[in-house]
Amino acid sequence: MTRVLCVAEKPSISKAVAGHLAGGNPQTRNTRDQYTKNYCFDFDFGPPWNHCSVTMTAVRGHLTTMEFTEANRDWRYPPPESLFTAPIVTVVPQDKRAIADNISQQSRYADLLIIWTDCDREGENIGKEIVDASKKGNRGMRVKRAKFSNIERSHILSAARNLVDLDDRQADAVDTRIELDLRIGYAFTRFLTNTLRPLGGPLLDMMLSYGSCQFPTLGFVVDRYFRVKNFVPEPFWSIQVTHTRENKKVRFSWDRNRLFDRLSVTVLFERCLRAKTAKVTKVQEKPTRKFKPLPLTTVELQKAATRLLRMNGQHAMKVAEELYNKGFISYPRTETDRFSKDINLQRSVQKQTQSEAWGQYAQSLLDGAFSQPRQGRHDDKAHPPIHPVTFASPSVLSHDERRLYEYVVRRFLACCSEDAKGLSTNIDLLYGDETFHAHGLVVLETNYLDVFIYEKWSDTAELPKFTQGETFEPTEAMMTEGKTSAPGYLTEADLIALMDINGIGTDATMAEHIQKIQDRQYVALTDQAGQQAQAHEDDDSDEDAVPPARGGRGRGGRGGGSSASRSGGARGRLKVFIPTKLGVALIVGFDRMEFETSLGKPFLRREMEAQMKAICEGRTTKSAVLQQNLRQYRHVFSHTQENITTLKMACREFVFS
Amino acid sequence: MDLPTQLRLALQSSHYPVPSQTWLTALATSRTPPPPFQSLLATAKARLLAADLTTPGLVDPAHATPLPENISDPNVPERTLTGNVHVQVVDIENLARSRWEQVEELEALERGEGTRGREIIRLPAPGQGDDDDDGVNGGADLGDEAESQGLAAHAQRTASRTTSGGGGGGGGGGSGSNATAPGGKKATHRLVLQDHAGRTAYAIELKRVDRIGVGVTGIGEKMMLRSGTAVARGVVLLEPDNCVVLGGKIDAWQKPWLEGRLKRLREAVENRPSPT
Repeated sequence: MTRVLCVAEKPSISKAVAGHLAGGNPQTRNTRDQYTKNYCFDFDFGPPWNHCSVTMTAVRGHLTTMEFTEANRDWRYPPPESLFTAPIVTVVPQDKRAIADNISQQSRYADLLIIWTDCDREGENIGKEIVDASKKGNRGMRVKRAKFSNIERSHILSAARNLVDLDDRQADAVDTRIELDLRIGYAFTRFLTNTLRPLGGPLLDMMLSYGSCQFPTLGFVVDRYFRVKNFVPEPFWSIQVTHTRENKKVRFSWDRNRLFDRLSVTVLFERCLRAKTAKVTKVQEKPTRKFKPLPLTTVELQKAATRLLRMNGQHAMKVAEELYNKGFISYPRTETDRFSKDINLQRSVQKQTQSEAWGQYAQSLLDGAFSQPRQGRHDDKAHPPIHPVTFASPSVLSHDERRLYEYVVRRFLACCSEDAKGLSTNIDLLYGDETFHAHGLVVLETNYLDVFIYEKWSDTAELPKFTQGETFEPTEAMMTEGKTSAPGYLTEADLIALMDINGIGTDATMAEHIQKIQDRQYVALTDQAGQQAQAHEDDDSDEDAVPPARGGRGRGGRGGGSSASRSGGARGRLKVFIPTKLGVALIVGFDRMEFETSLGKPFLRREMEAQMKAICEGRTTKSAVLQQNLRQYRHVFSHTQENITTLKMACREFVFS
Repeated sequence: MDLPTQLRLALQSSHYPVPSQTWLTALATSRTPPPPFQSLLATAKARLLAADLTTPGLVDPAHATPLPENISDPNVPERTLTGNVHVQVVDIENLARSRWEQVEELEALERGEGTRGREIIRLPAPGQGDDDDDGVNGGADLGDEAESQGLAAHAQRTASRTTSGGGGGGGGGGSGSNATAPGGKKATHRLVLQDHAGRTAYAIELKRVDRIGVGVTGIGEKMMLRSGTAVARGVVLLEPDNCVVLGGKIDAWQKPWLEGRLKRLREAVENRPSPT
């Protein structure tokens, strides 16, 4: 009988998978690592392996780390730039030794190794580390990989019977990134710390770290900070026409919206008045719809969590990971926003029918309201969009798990629903030479909005009857005045969106970078202050619209779930990022150095991420990417050395002022 | 018919300002034998478009209508021009965008953010101030400075990304569409126009004239305002039907205008008595 060793990325997954494969309680043995168990059972993998005797165990994330050798441990000597070329060794850190030993020991008795790490780049890389560890015990073993995206039973069984090969390219991409981050991060961090600490004051015992993701992320915060700080309000003028008919007051908006010159608006307004009557040039009634959301990706999950659930991105990912580990949702790190055809969505909907809160809605989908989800344009080819796998009763979840799970489920059910439908009316008006428009909406079918309580779409007052070609004398025409207001500081959702568009970090690491710049005291998260809250009240509508909808219906739907973060609801309590003096100094300092490619800007990192992708797709190799990036960053490094006075001056200007 | 007269008639029929007899004669006799008529005409047009209309001896006062003497009188609610008036653009501004927004954009370019390596793709500005939904900053209004097109393209990409992103959607929508044409469909420009006598007047687009735009319209560019054009409270009201854009620019004006634009915008914003 073939002997098989299975290794998962974490103990919770090995336990779950072992349970499914064993079809009951497998025999459990302790290892020398207190968190890791070995499970022994028999399983039929189908041809060519067929009936096998299996040992299933796990690692705990990465098994090895890269580090510099003893000769480069000292921060002073050799100089930091030597780190661009210094030798690097891969070692098993002390706390992972027992795990590595367990794997090489177990592999001695095995003919086949099956990797059960999460299916993404990082997982592929960990897979390679496991293979390396097992080769120490058994050189001749075959290696396979199980491809899965959730730990629901039938999915796991099917993965076990459809084994694939490890993808070396993805593992290489991760190795490349780790090595670049290590060399570049250490070189700049040591250099900055060594050079700036002597300035004294608060810098005296700070660790001034640099990271190729950290800095652009900080750059976004600083950029917005200055935009808010420098903002100058300006007056503008507009024309508003209102007409009362059938006891309904209709407001017509000016097609020019607003102009920043009083005289011009006065001239145009006078011409309206002189015309006396206005003419209806177009009346258009047409069906309209509000699109249901796209299937859920990691980035969208994080944005939603920070915005709607008031969790920070990193915490949200932790919670999502827990839900995945417990088997309730699919793998939460995914870029895919389209469901593949072969996935049985109705079955996932079916599982939600037992919920008290949305069970009835789920049932209505099964009873005929089901509609195929929209197809987004992103597909990472590894995982489906985040969706619920089984039903989780609220009693088995922690407070935050419950809220995040609720979002994932509601979003999924919304995806499987019809768009909301309505009837919109547009009226165009010609008054003098000026054109105006009014818009009316009647919501006919709420559909997905019934379950997706985070969005709303409401009737605007129903418009009275207007006929094309008719003329009338408007009840009122007014010239109005207003002034512009500053943009708000960045919220975490904004920051995630910026990182996403600018290619900083992967969807899975963004939250970590955001945490890092807070840990380093480059930025602070504060409550949006009162002055800001006011300036903010009318910017983008989606944030505005959300809290009331959730406060009202969300509570009812779930039977009175309440929390501190919920009670606020208003925009004024939104958390925003503001850079510290040090954060400002670093970015301004680097920007003033006038590089071709500033470290505070996203370009270099965006390129690097693109090259990682290229490695995965086989368009380039690890060594080529390493070489090119190290050359580029070394160039920036020496430039930084030459212009270090600029950075020091910025520190004096901002930190010591 | 002699050559100068022939030139004059040809210019007149294509709505060009009529040069003085001396100017025409000088042009017609500058080379012997004279070049073919069409190329001579082209030279005449090019020189007129690049010249300052107020140059003494350039325009024939007998064939030119100046702006009315008291054109800028704000007490005259409305009147019309009594003849075709040739003018040149001295200044242009898009009144639909806040000056500050334009300052930010120019400063970003100055910091080099229009170039690879230094750019940041920003989120679409969440409707600064009022409740309109034209989020994208009016996008492509810079025209001339080549890089700005890149920025505008980004802005649009950004906009479409974020709107398609789900997770909110928000009622309104309708963003991004105004960032297409060089001047923007929704733009309303105000120009300072000058006639051959040196008199200036404000003009605004009563209706959008596609060839007018910041960065599109050259400083010193020539236009003909048709007879009958309305002037309200000292402001000429431009429409595609009454405004014949001839083109051209005066290099000696264009450069300082471009270079001084950021400074002027800044001053205009900062020196304004704070709005109430």
